[in-house]
Amino acid sequence: MNNYILEAKNISKSFGTIKALEDVNFYLEKGKIYGLLGENGAGKSSLMNILSGIYQPERGTIYINEQKQKSLNPESASKLGIGMVHQEFRLIESFSIKDNLTLSKSNIYKKNFYEAYNKYSEIFSLSVSPNKLINQLSVGEKQKIEIVKLIFKNSNIMLLDEPTAVLTPQETSQLKVSLERLSEEDEKTIVLISHKLKEIRDFTQKVFVMKNGRMVAEDLLTEDISDDELIELMMGNIQKSVIDKSNKIGKTKLSVKSINYIDRSNNLKILDDISLDISAGEILGVAGVSGNGQVELANIISGIETDFSGQILINERDVSRKGVRSRKKLNLSYIPENRLGVGLAPGVSVLDNSIVRDYFKTRLGPHLSKTKTETYLDGLINKFSIKAPDSKAEITTLSGGNMQKLLMGRELTSNPEVIIASQPTRGLDVNAVEAIHNLLIEQRDKGSAILLISEDLDELFKLSNRLHVMFEGKIIKSFHPGSADVNDIGLAMAGVIE
Amino acid sequence: MIDIQLVGLLNATLQAATLLFIAALGELITEKSGILNLGVEGMISIGAVTGFMTAINTQNILLSVLVGILSSSVFASIHALVTVVLKQDQTVSGLILTILGLAVSALLGKNYVGKKLETKLENISSINEPSNILEVLISQNIIFYIAVVLMIITSYVLKNTMFGRRLEAVGEDSRSSDSMGLKIAKTQFIATCVGGAFAGLSGVYLTLSYVPYWTDNMTSGRGWIALALVIFGGWKPYRTALGALLFGFLEALVPRLQTYGFELSPYIVKITPYIITILVLIILTVYKGGITGAPKNIGVPFFRENR
Amino acid sequence: MNNLKLFKRQSVNELATFYSFLIGFLIAIFIGSIILLIQDKNPFDTFSLMLRLSVGSVNSLSSSLNKAIPLILAGLGISIINSVKLWNIGAEGQIFLGAIAVNFVYINSQINNPTIHIFVLLIAGFIGGAICILIPAITKVAFGVNEIITTLLTNYIVIGITIYLINGPWKDPNSLNFPAAAYVGEEVFLPTIFGKLSFGFLICIFFTILAHYLKNKSVFGFEMRIAGGSAMTAVYAGINAKQKAFLAMLIGGGFAGLAGAIELLSQTHRVSTGISQGFGYTAIIVAAITGMRPLGIFLVGSLFGALSIGGSVIQTIGVSTYIADIIQASTLFGALIIQFFFNYQIRRVEND
Repeated sequence: MNNYILEAKNISKSFGTIKALEDVNFYLEKGKIYGLLGENGAGKSSLMNILSGIYQPERGTIYINEQKQKSLNPESASKLGIGMVHQEFRLIESFSIKDNLTLSKSNIYKKNFYEAYNKYSEIFSLSVSPNKLINQLSVGEKQKIEIVKLIFKNSNIMLLDEPTAVLTPQETSQLKVSLERLSEEDEKTIVLISHKLKEIRDFTQKVFVMKNGRMVAEDLLTEDISDDELIELMMGNIQKSVIDKSNKIGKTKLSVKSINYIDRSNNLKILDDISLDISAGEILGVAGVSGNGQVELANIISGIETDFSGQILINERDVSRKGVRSRKKLNLSYIPENRLGVGLAPGVSVLDNSIVRDYFKTRLGPHLSKTKTETYLDGLINKFSIKAPDSKAEITTLSGGNMQKLLMGRELTSNPEVIIASQPTRGLDVNAVEAIHNLLIEQRDKGSAILLISEDLDELFKLSNRLHVMFEGKIIKSFHPGSADVNDIGLAMAGVIE
Repeated sequence: MIDIQLVGLLNATLQAATLLFIAALGELITEKSGILNLGVEGMISIGAVTGFMTAINTQNILLSVLVGILSSSVFASIHALVTVVLKQDQTVSGLILTILGLAVSALLGKNYVGKKLETKLENISSINEPSNILEVLISQNIIFYIAVVLMIITSYVLKNTMFGRRLEAVGEDSRSSDSMGLKIAKTQFIATCVGGAFAGLSGVYLTLSYVPYWTDNMTSGRGWIALALVIFGGWKPYRTALGALLFGFLEALVPRLQTYGFELSPYIVKITPYIITILVLIILTVYKGGITGAPKNIGVPFFRENR
Repeated sequence: MNNLKLFKRQSVNELATFYSFLIGFLIAIFIGSIILLIQDKNPFDTFSLMLRLSVGSVNSLSSSLNKAIPLILAGLGISIINSVKLWNIGAEGQIFLGAIAVNFVYINSQINNPTIHIFVLLIAGFIGGAICILIPAITKVAFGVNEIITTLLTNYIVIGITIYLINGPWKDPNSLNFPAAAYVGEEVFLPTIFGKLSFGFLICIFFTILAHYLKNKSVFGFEMRIAGGSAMTAVYAGINAKQKAFLAMLIGGGFAGLAGAIELLSQTHRVSTGISQGFGYTAIIVAAITGMRPLGIFLVGSLFGALSIGGSVIQTIGVSTYIADIIQASTLFGALIIQFFFNYQIRRVEND
């Protein structure tokens, strides 16, 4: 046996009917920086959650320091030196940095806190007092505290889930230096979980690649493998967009004119003079790192946010001052980024959630006909092949893919004139993604005008007729997917335009 | 020399405040861990009746106090079992704890209604008729001083000790606390029982000193005011104590108003504390824009594999 | 090594609430038996006596159902308010204010047709209950003030007002020992329909159906569910969540107020502290135990009404009336415990 600090063999895990992991092997040597590459939904997070004891695998064995582990839970994993930084931070917002670092049962710097804090502050170029509260920190600072927290817990194996997603390019390159110092000076083993090729190349010495819940490449030397090879491993044979985009484009259906929006709570300008037009039969993609105003733009067009300046026209009718419902009556559909919580109401049945869009069309005065709503839901279930065995069951008993199909189906079944789809495939498995892409294309061909907001460049390339890049509330550049270069778009998303 | 009536008012204020404060402090500790226990009224009642029964039967004050504290704490563990271990609705469970507590204590105390205590919780000094503020302060019941000590200890423990910070961490953000290796269920279970113990002490004080007899429903809503006090105090021990003094003052003022020459109906004056609580709640919520210092995870059962 | 782990069940048996209630009730009877045994009473004899005296004759059965009316109506009100995921702990106060409103209108109006008069008084009761919850409703919707505390505190305020009224302005000089308002005239007494059973029971049936319709079959019920499920989804769907919450609270308060009106017009015939004997609190148990289902509330409310009657008559053999309260509360605790096993699954996880 090699002297791996961690070795996981034949790990399998499923959620309901979805196989998240199948026979996965994963092993790490001490003091190295690893990459775990894979698309959204490839199973990276599930694997990491199993290693840190949050999920229990159905099958498989885990060795840590060559000791077989019978059952890992967060406590025992953390005692064995496995620490994870999640995409959503696990920091107590109203507590100070010091509290967050020291409250853990396995804190090793009880006596010499300040000494240790200063040391790692220097490594991470962090210049804040440890008495500062977490909710006063920037996102980048929080990210650093999360990593320092692992050091304080004496984690020798640090699993970082997409740590750069929230960072600026400068912060990202700074993080690289910090992580390298950690692996060299403290012999930390670091796993960088990412779907970004460039980062894997920049940060790591060795790389594992996952696809559809399987490990498709193990322990490759990063410098020996080319980008093309990695992409091929990650995505299988890349099929350059096979979607026919020569469909007929009709007249303008949605017209957005110089939208400005200021967040009143902190007086920040969120949207800066946004204008766009979408015609019948057209998909306009909006690319951008999340948090650059996309959610607000979608909310304003759909009528949820009303405190803005500018104009919105649906089929040449000014709806700027109209409410959500009158826009729905003009047949606008909105698939919000937050599936559960906005698009679907948790704690409420599948049936109720299925009629959220059209219930006021089918009502008879105060009466809501059970037979009509049941028929409506059955229609959706058949048309969009949704797996929903019990209409009275609470919505979250459905899988993520089926929830999204229900939401999409509900919004699309009346052939809307205008569709706003925000991150429609995020976190879904491959089959569901494919189904949802087909729905959008079908709707496009029926003559809908579609605004597709996404972070997934492949999706945008595949589906859009035109592509806008949003950065800090502005549309800073536009592209045609047929002729555009991915690198240029990537740069524009980071705010760089030549 | 100060007005003898004023001294009486101050005295009564402190006594009423002590009673409310101890229960509120216990609830504060429970809520800090993320568990809402609406059963304070029932827990006080259990402590009151069991303490009283022990005192009648044994004449041993210390034992009575301990029995009262312990029985309320055990009673609170029902709530802990249902909400922490079995993850059921905290609102429902707490409410039923109140109803059950009132019924059980009435049943237990059936044969003790109207009985006279031979020994009471005594005042600490021998000043029978205090004539100035200092004398009032040094002549209080021992429970008053215990309450002060508990306040200082609780505040210190919550702010400055590992145990207190961890307790608060669990109530603030159970997921993060879980990732820190903190034991969520254990912490919440203990905090709920401690809350029960405090309510029990408050109950014992009620029957062994404040109104030294037992009758059904004698808690008369004090448990609910204690709950409101926690909100009033923004989940901070000292501010909660301030609130308790205010409510104690109002409770003490009621029977005295007429002696001061007010022509207000005593029945109307009696409801002013409740009206003021509502007003204060409104002002606090409006003024702080909804951020009242409540633990963020209050009322939310923790389940690790929640996806 | 085997390890016990908790899993949330994907689907829950539809009758879970019913089974939980049944088992909870058995647990409660068991606990009640132990208490009786400790008191040297034969549980079997006691319970059969309770059964006989609560449902054994037309008279006792109708008393039980009369007792059930306020429990059911207040429980329905609580369940309507819970549709928007809010709590009403103030049913007790709403019952009192309903009765106060009836007396207020009775004193200050002159209606000659008794049917219309009764009708007007019942509406007054409903409005009284709605007024009682007005402040909690406004402060909840406008500022987000915790409605559990405010509805609860209004109980003490309203009961305080009741005591003030019956000792002051409304004090009946003929009632010397027991402070109470004057009796209302016999022309506004609710008629009885069967034995001692009040016409109020028919009203109660009607309102049960109404609540069932409102919650489960109406657009309003749907909108309440969405608003209660997620405020953001409501905004997204163009549903005014605050308006729904406000209306739900007023309607729910009105149901409890109506209970007070019926209690006054059919049982006490005057305002006194005896208008409600904790009905508002027991109603919370009734509503919670049925998972807020109107038809369930009707059935459990009837059962608990009988239990209360049974509990009060066994006083004669020296058993505390509180045994009924304990059985009711224990039923819910038992049901909560059983409910856990319907919602969660404990599985062995093998790691080898």
